[in-house]
Amino acid sequence: MADNAYDKLKHSIRYWLLRKLPTCQQTVEKISQSMDRKLTLRERINLKLHIWICAWCQWYMEHLQLIRESARAKGAESPDLNSTPTSALSSEARERIKRKLAGEG
Amino acid sequence: MSQVQTTPDALSADAGRWLEEHADYLFKYASFRLRDDTAAEDAVQETFLAALKAYEKYEGRGSERTWLVGILKHKIIDHFRKVEREAPIGEDVDEGPEHTAFFERSDQWAGHWNPDHAPSDWHATPAELIERGDFWKVFNDCLSPLPQRTASAFTLREVDGLKSEEICEILSISVNNLWVMLHRARLHLRNCLEVNWFKHQH
Repeated sequence: MADNAYDKLKHSIRYWLLRKLPTCQQTVEKISQSMDRKLTLRERINLKLHIWICAWCQWYMEHLQLIRESARAKGAESPDLNSTPTSALSSEARERIKRKLAGEG
Repeated sequence: MSQVQTTPDALSADAGRWLEEHADYLFKYASFRLRDDTAAEDAVQETFLAALKAYEKYEGRGSERTWLVGILKHKIIDHFRKVEREAPIGEDVDEGPEHTAFFERSDQWAGHWNPDHAPSDWHATPAELIERGDFWKVFNDCLSPLPQRTASAFTLREVDGLKSEEICEILSISVNNLWVMLHRARLHLRNCLEVNWFKHQH
């Protein structure tokens, strides 16, 4: 019974907050900007509260961070040429560059 | 400088060896950023030509590949600049899709996630994703429908970690343009990865 009352209260607070806070559409824009600039205090508070009650936006933020971390790691990856034969320079391009370099040398 | 004058023959020998040792790596590096094989081949060629000209300045300091990648980075940025010059930004710049449908609902929660498009749990780590070649294929395919400038802004920020001011200078855009472009690129890419990759993984 106590649990039930607590859940009801949590539910009401959540809905009350969702009504007061910026929408998900506005929040995802702030989530993106938080990765490129320092948000104002008000923006940070709204973002934190929204994330606290909205699992979807919380996942959204985690996904953007995962994409950034993975893309930066991939971009700085040390070469492992044997594992990715598909992305190797084509032999035509290699020959063309070789001729060009010989001409300049 | 006690170095012996480098002869043209020695230079072309170096050029041949560079191709053997570094061409594939440089090409991979460039095509991940440019997403265009021809542009990536051009950037690699430009890099080797510039390296030949600047060879005396290199003097064997540091790793050869690091030196070549340093030149390639500039060639890639030159390419982004060139694209910008060929298509100068106008009044009605296309910053990318807004995807308003993600937040369309018929109930009282308009502006919040539509459950059909809402994010789900991905259960993934960067370490796992880096290993998956097929993931990066989807990643590239997801970026390609974006406007050129938006995709370039995304790559410079999220792959190379350049600062906002540097990207604005390269692409000749305002910082407000940049934030809108990055937001739209992320919104689009995240959804595209979820639909085309993560939903099939579990």
